Formats: sequence, structure tokens, C-alpha cells
Amino acid sequence: MGWFSGSKTPKNDWSAMSTVINTEAKLQSLGGITPSRRAGVIYRNDEEIPFMKEIKSELNSVLYIGDGATKTAFEIEDDDRGMRWIVLEDGNFGDLVSSVYTVGNAIGMNEGSDNLLAAVFELYFTGTVEDNTYRSGLRTYWIYRYDRKAFYPFVPTGESEGERDRQTEARLGQDLRKHGLTIEKSLTEWMGLWGIPF
Amino acid sequence: MLRFEVMILSSTTTRKFHKDRGLVTRMYFTMFMLGFLYAIFALFLYAAGTAMIFIAPIVGIMVAVQYFMSDRLILMSTGAKQVSSEQNPELHRMVKTLADRYEIPIPKVAIIDTAIPNAFATGRNPKNALVAVTTGIQKRLTERELQAVIGHELAHVANRDMRVLAIANFLVTLTSFLMTMLFWNMLFGGMGGRRNNNGGGVMMVYLVTIIVYFIGQLLVLALTRYREYGADHTGAEISGDPGALADALEKISGTVNTIPDKDLRKLQTANAFLVIPAALKGEGSMNLFSTHPPLEERIRRLRELEQRMRYGLR
Repeated sequence: MGWFSGSKTPKNDWSAMSTVINTEAKLQSLGGITPSRRAGVIYRNDEEIPFMKEIKSELNSVLYIGDGATKTAFEIEDDDRGMRWIVLEDGNFGDLVSSVYTVGNAIGMNEGSDNLLAAVFELYFTGTVEDNTYRSGLRTYWIYRYDRKAFYPFVPTGESEGERDRQTEARLGQDLRKHGLTIEKSLTEWMGLWGIPF
Repeated sequence: MLRFEVMILSSTTTRKFHKDRGLVTRMYFTMFMLGFLYAIFALFLYAAGTAMIFIAPIVGIMVAVQYFMSDRLILMSTGAKQVSSEQNPELHRMVKTLADRYEIPIPKVAIIDTAIPNAFATGRNPKNALVAVTTGIQKRLTERELQAVIGHELAHVANRDMRVLAIANFLVTLTSFLMTMLFWNMLFGGMGGRRNNNGGGVMMVYLVTIIVYFIGQLLVLALTRYREYGADHTGAEISGDPGALADALEKISGTVNTIPDKDLRKLQTANAFLVIPAALKGEGSMNLFSTHPPLEERIRRLRELEQRMRYGLR
């Protein structure tokens, strides 16, 4: 795939993002989370950039054509804050992460590196492992910030800005780091994304 | 220098609760002033020609008075008001239940009327122990968390940390006192001895005094930090719930509150937010001298313990 061979250094970082695969697998083997199927890439849309203008067909060729294509289903959604989301769904978590990486990389390699904001994974806790700490059915997002090359958990408690469960997030951050996820160390950088469209 | 033997829950200042310093500062200021007073008094006696044989017991008596009066001095310097079981039955019940679990006499209970969340224990032995909590910590914490905090303070009492600290402090104070006396002796040739003209020797003694004092202080601080981890551990073992204290520490330390309200989409450009480097937060250098280990480290250890207890890997 030509997207990986460009001379410009890609803005996202596979080694940091891929830690999510092992962490998800570990937590699943502990019985702490249900298999995750959904993720998204959020970026600031700019119709002046040809790749973004033709995002749907471009992503179709990136995700569906060629050997080893993940064939992950995707949808394009614009939120009310002027951002575009590529929402991806795949029953195979490894493929899902690979597709998220591919989408981000494709945007980054095509003049969009400054527009990329974050990749977001949705994970549900079942509470069987962390029964003291995480309530069953707790929905969490693991946000990967492209500029920081690191993850942090996000647990919104409402739709408006500032409504989040900080204590659970702090705790979760420690647990996820313990299980190998690259976590953003500075809590002040753990900015939320309210109204995630999935 | 003399010290109060107090185990404070959290002496860390945070951005959220700058005034947290107040409680600790007042205690240390009072203690510093007392030490200063003793030193001046001893020097005055010495200058007036009183023999060392008399000065030492007088200073000793003053130290002893402070030791036995320390709980009252602490109440005075922190503004803590002792409350009876009628005035605050819930808090008393909680302290009593926990004291029974630790198999120690029920300590006195005091409240400090301030929004700053903190707590401390003091008293030269379990019989004379006192536990104080601020109104702020009562308001902020859940019952489970407050129990963990009081459990931590009672662990200090049960472990006799105040006495350990008092002995350590006494040894340091005694050493530096003797060294100071030796220094003055060499300088002025007191006790009828001949004047020592060896300036280098005086400097040496002076330097050694400072080094001994410095090392002594570091040892006391290290000891305090060690007892702090110990109390965290004891508290966790008694309650079986290490997570409760970790939750409480997270809550009162305000670190959790640094997680922003801001939406990521409000960032204009990728680099605009690499603003404040961690160095500006001024952490790290205080580690050696702070009586309390860094909260992050305490929380980390508690979480680890929580994990171990949960999976039965004790």
C-alpha cells in the first residue's frame, strides 16, 4: 500500500497506537470488558484538500482494495462542532485498530496531518474483573491524540462540555497503563470529546 | 529543632487547595518558634555564666513539657476544636468502630472548621491520641473514604508512629544541641578551659554540626515517609479495601481535578497546547524533604495492593 511508503514522516505512531491491541486482549481475558467493535477518527475537515474532498472514495480504496485489506465498514459523519468523523466498525479488534491507523495515516499523508485530532475506541466494562472499581456496563472511550501520540480514557456523564467522571478516568488510566497502553501522562491534556457520534 | 509529633494525612499543596499549606505551616511555625525560644533561653543562661550542668536539665524540662502538652499546643495552633460524642455522634461512632478494630483506646476527636480537606493524628501514646478532621474533608468524602482516612490516622496511632518520631526527633535535637555546645565551648573557651585559638578546629566542629543536623533531619524525614507507607498498608489490611484510601487521596489531592473541562475540538492548531512544561509545576525537588511521600506513589502502591487483594495474590 502506497500510503506507508511516502517520504514524509507520518504523524501518527503505530507503536503507540498498537498498544491498544494487547491491552484490549488482556482486559478481555480477565473478563473485564466486552469485545470492542467500534472506533472513530476525528479530523478538521477542509474541502480545499483533495483527499478530504473525496474522502469516501479514497477510504473505499484504502480499506477495501488490495491484499490484506481489512474491509472494515465505515461511515462519515459531521458533528455540530465543525468536525468530521470516520466511524469504523469491525468484529475483529486487530483489524479495527489497523483500519483506524490506516485511515489516520492516509489523511496525514495527504496534507491532512495538521487536521487530525484523535482516534477514539469505544469499550464497555462488564465489571466482572474490576467489580470494586468499574460498574458493569460502564461505557468508556479510549482517546488517542495524534499530537501527543498517547491514549487517555474518557468517561462522559452527559452531553455538554465538562461533564465527565474524572475519578473513574484517573483510575482507568492507571489500570490501562498497567496493562500496557501508552497513556498520556499529563492529566491536563486529557481533553474530552462530548457528543461522540457512536 | 523540635517538632510536633503529628501525622498529617496530606501535606502536599496542590493548585486546587493552596491554603492546605496553612495547617502544616502553623504547626511548624509554632514548633520553630518554641525551638528558637529554647535556644535563646539556653544561650542566655550560658552567657549569664550558668554552668552546663544546670542548663541541660532546664532545657530538658521545657522539652518534656512540650512533649506532654503537645496535643494541646497542636489544637491551639491548628484551631482544632475537640468535639464530644453528643456534638458529633456520627464521627464519634466511626472513630469508635475503627478504634475497636485496631484494638486501641478510643481517641479524642477534633474538628477543624475549614474547607481544606485534611486530617491528622497526634498524641504521645494510644491512650492520649487525638484524631482531627477538617469540615472540608467530611463534606468532600464519602463515608467509605472518610473511614479509610480515619483508619489511616488510627494506624499511625496503633503503630505508635508519633512516639517513634518523637524519639528520632529527640536524638537529632540532642545531637545538634551537644554539637552546638561543643562549638560554643571551643569558640569562647567556656567551662573554665583555656581559649582555643585553633580557628580551623572551630570551623570543623561547626561544619560537622551542620552536617550531623542535616543528615539527622533527612533520616527523620525518611522515617516519616516510611511510616506513612506503613500506615497506608496497615489501614488497607484492617479495612480490606485499599482502594478507599486511594480514592480519598485522589479526591483531596485535587490531581483528578486537573483533568480539563475543555473539549479537544477547541484546540486550534496542533502545537498551540504544548504550553506549560511539567518543570513549571515545581515537583520533584521537594521529594527528599517532604514528610509525606508523593501522593502519586502512595496512590500507586494502594492501587497495586488493591489489585493484589482482589486477585488473591497476597
